Amino acid sequence: MSRNSIFTWIVMILSSLVLLFILAPLVGMFIHTGGAQFLETVKDKEVHQSVWLTLWVSFTATLIFSIGAVPFAWLLARKKFPVKNIVQGIIDLPIVLPHTAAGIALLGFISRDGFLGKTASLFGLNLVNHPSGIALAMAFVSLPFLINAARDGFAAVPERLEKAALNLGASHTKVFFTISLPLAWRSITTGFVMMFARGMSEFGAVVIIAYHPMIAPVLIYERFSSYGLNYARPASVFFILVALLFLIALRLISIKRKEKFINTDAQTD
Amino acid sequence: MLRLINIKRRLGDFALADINLEVSDGEYYVLLGRSGSGKTQLLELIAGLEHPDTGSIILDNEDITRQRIQDRKVGIVFQDYAVFPHMTVFGNIAYPLRARKEDKKSIVEKVEKAATSMNIKHILDRSTEKLSGGELQRVALARTLITSPRLLLLDEPLSSLDTSLKDDLKRLLRNLNKAGQTIIHVTHDYGDAISLAKRVGVIHNGKIIQEGSVDEVFNNPSNRFVARYAGIRNFFRVVISGENGLSVGVTEHNVKLKLNGVSAGRDSLLLIKNDSIVLTNEKPVDKELNVIKGKVTELIPSEFGMEVTIDAGEMFYINIITSDLERLNLVEEKEVWVSFPSKAIVVLSGTV
Repeated sequence: MSRNSIFTWIVMILSSLVLLFILAPLVGMFIHTGGAQFLETVKDKEVHQSVWLTLWVSFTATLIFSIGAVPFAWLLARKKFPVKNIVQGIIDLPIVLPHTAAGIALLGFISRDGFLGKTASLFGLNLVNHPSGIALAMAFVSLPFLINAARDGFAAVPERLEKAALNLGASHTKVFFTISLPLAWRSITTGFVMMFARGMSEFGAVVIIAYHPMIAPVLIYERFSSYGLNYARPASVFFILVALLFLIALRLISIKRKEKFINTDAQTD
Repeated sequence: MLRLINIKRRLGDFALADINLEVSDGEYYVLLGRSGSGKTQLLELIAGLEHPDTGSIILDNEDITRQRIQDRKVGIVFQDYAVFPHMTVFGNIAYPLRARKEDKKSIVEKVEKAATSMNIKHILDRSTEKLSGGELQRVALARTLITSPRLLLLDEPLSSLDTSLKDDLKRLLRNLNKAGQTIIHVTHDYGDAISLAKRVGVIHNGKIIQEGSVDEVFNNPSNRFVARYAGIRNFFRVVISGENGLSVGVTEHNVKLKLNGVSAGRDSLLLIKNDSIVLTNEKPVDKELNVIKGKVTELIPSEFGMEVTIDAGEMFYINIITSDLERLNLVEEKEVWVSFPSKAIVVLSGTV
C-alpha cells in the first residue's frame, strides 16, 4: 500500500469534518428521539396525513411538470436560439430566489385576484390552501433540478445516433421517444428524483401558499414553534425515514426501468 | 443516378467548393482524401444530415437538395457505426422497419434474412455493447441495407478493422455492388480505393481535384498530391529548354532529364513513375533512356524487398524486389546507374 502524502492527509481530515457536519445533527436527532416518543408519533394520524400529503403532492407535481420540462430540456440541449442564455438564466432563477419571496410572487399569481387563481375559480377551485396550490409552490422551486439534469442527459446523447435514426426513416417524434429519451433516461430519472426530493422538503414557498393542509415541513415547524424541540424531533425523524425509503424505492425503479429499455427491443420480448 | 451540381458548403474556416460529381446506378465510387479534406462532410450533404449553402443534389432525376433526411432513401453507415447502444442487435436492424410500422412477423423474417446474409444471425439477441468492431460494422450495414437504399454511403468502413476482417468486408462490399447496389465509399486509404473502386475521385481541401477510373487517375496523376497517393516519390521541379521537339528539363541540382515528346511550360513539376525506373551495376547502352550515375545512400526494408535511396545529384527512391536485390548486390555507398525512358516522365499540372 502506498503511503499517503501530508497533503492527502489534510484533505482527508477536512473532508471528514465536512461529512461530520452533515451527519452529526442528523445522528444526534435520531439518538435524542426516544423509542416511545417515536412510536407515538408513528401512530399519530395528523403526522401520517401530513407525510402522505407531502409525498403524493410532490410526486404528482414532479410527474405533471415533467411532461413539459423534459421536452424543454431536450430543446435546450439540441437547439440554438438567440435568447438561449437568458432562458437558461430564467430556469435557474428559483434556485437563487429566497423561497418565501417565491411564495409571495406565486401567491399573487394564484390567489383569486391573480390570473391562474381567477381561471381556477371558474372551475370552482381555490388554489390557496389547497394541495394543487402546494404542488405549484413545490414545482416552482424544484423545476430547475429536473430541467438541468435532463438537459445534461440529452446533451450527452451523441447527436450522430439521432441522425442515424432519422437516416433510417424514423420521424423526429419517433427519434425522441426511441433514441434521445431512453439514452438520457438515467439523467432524467436523477433529475426527477431530485425535483421530487426538493419539492418534498420545501417549506418557505409552501407555507405562504398553504399553511393548511399541512405538509410535513410545515407540521414540523408548527410543532417546534408551539411545543418546542422535543415535540418536533420525532416527527422530523419519521419524515426523514419515510422520505429516504421513498427515494430508495424510486432509484430502484428507475434502474429497473433502464434495464427494461434495453430489453424491450429483444426479439423474444 | 446521383448528380451533385456546384455544391458549396462553408463550415467555419473550411469550405467544400464547386463540387460536381456524377455517380451512375450500380457504380462503386470511391472518394479518396486525407482526414479534414471534406469527404465526410460531402457524404453528410448527400445523406441530408447537413444542407449545402448553394448547389443541387439530384437523385434519379429528383431534386433532393432540401428533402428531409428520412425521406431520401439514402443509407449512410458512419465511421463509428452509430449503432444504438440501448438496443440489441435485433432491435438495431429492426429499427427502420419498426419506424415504418411493419407488422411483427414480417419484421422478424426480414431481420433474420438480413442477419443471415451478413453472417450475424447468431448474435441477434445480444446487446451491442460488447460486440467487436467487425460485428458492429455488419450490424450497421444490415440496419442500413434493410431499408433498400437507392444509394449506400460508407464513411471509412474499413479503417478500424484488422486485415482479415478487412478482406471479408471488402468481399461483402464487392458482392453487394455486383448485386446492383450503388455505393459511394470515402476513405483515406489508397489500397481500399484500388481494390474496390470502379471510379475514384480524389478530394483535397474541399475540392475534387481528379476523377476517373482507377487506372486513369493513378497512372496519370494530375498533381503531386494524387501522385503521392499512388506511392510515387520521385518529383522534380525543372526548368525546361529545348528545340526541334527535343526538350531537356534541368533540375534544381543540375540533373538533366530528356523529355521527348513532353510538352510543358518553362517551370514544371515532373514525376517519374516508380515501376519504370531501373537500377543496374553497368551503364545501360540504350541512347533513348535517361541514364544517371548515383550512389546508394540508404537501404530500407519494405513489404516486398527494399526501398533504395540513390543520390544522383537529385535523390531517387526506387523499390527493389528481393531477387533483384541479391543480383545487384546492393550496399550503401555503392555506385549504380539509374535509368528510365522519357515516357515514364509525367508533367504535373497542379502544384499541390
